[in-house]
Amino acid sequence: MSNTDDIRWVTQVALLGDKNAFDKLTCKYQSPIRRFFLNLTAGDGPLSDDLAQETFIKAYLNITAFKGLSGFSTWLYRIAYNVYYDSVRAQKHYEDIDESVIDNQHHTLNEFSAEKMDIYKALKMLRKEEQTAVLLFYMEDKTHKEIARIMNCPLGTAKTYILKGKERLTVYLTKAGYGN
Amino acid sequence: METNNKDKLLKDFFSNYKQEIADNGFTAHVMQKLPEETYRGWIVWIFAAIGMALTFYIGLQSGLVDHLLVLFKHVPVYYIIGGVFCFPLLGTAGFYFSQTKDYHLI
Repeated sequence: MSNTDDIRWVTQVALLGDKNAFDKLTCKYQSPIRRFFLNLTAGDGPLSDDLAQETFIKAYLNITAFKGLSGFSTWLYRIAYNVYYDSVRAQKHYEDIDESVIDNQHHTLNEFSAEKMDIYKALKMLRKEEQTAVLLFYMEDKTHKEIARIMNCPLGTAKTYILKGKERLTVYLTKAGYGN
Repeated sequence: METNNKDKLLKDFFSNYKQEIADNGFTAHVMQKLPEETYRGWIVWIFAAIGMALTFYIGLQSGLVDHLLVLFKHVPVYYIIGGVFCFPLLGTAGFYFSQTKDYHLI
């Protein structure tokens, strides 16, 4: 399925309110968007599914705002990024509470979590922006330019996030025995 | 460690953890949550009607319709009949190719 299909489906949704076309878009992008959230939330399956659902609903409601300057995938990740940071900002009210205690009591792990602890630990070494940029670059195969669009920042800033994230992760992974 | 090696280390690390997540009803759940939209197909018909009306208006104003009528008077009738009979053939061929676009001829 190509970008041409995306444009056709987006047009059908925007012009005719065709839900079948949006169903196809959701089906195509559910996996990368849910994976993106799953990694950002350190494996919290229900939370990442809630965020992904919110992303798709926002995409549906604002689909007429999609101008086609970037790919639909980039636009969708932009919404996902905003949804995630809105959720992070909302959680800042509870900053004083000891996070590790909450994690231990309520942290929900998905079926892959046990074997994925390494990636979550590694990502925790990074700042939120670096996590996002590194995930988009190395996991979701986005280009620097697309990452800058998704994060709504200058190209140089996006490159810096990736570079800093790369440096920290390399040190961590080398210490953890990867790459030996 | 060199930049290329660092890149390779990270690419290998992340690709190792890259997984496809099964839908498991996620799409259906999203579709249920979407707000109801009214049918907007009428927009297409409105624009088509405006377009046709404009075409006829401009055609009448510029004398294009008169020219076409004169042209038709000079075209032999069997040309027109032949043209009309071509439509089902072209339509069928177009439909066939649109339906078989996913198949490849070996």
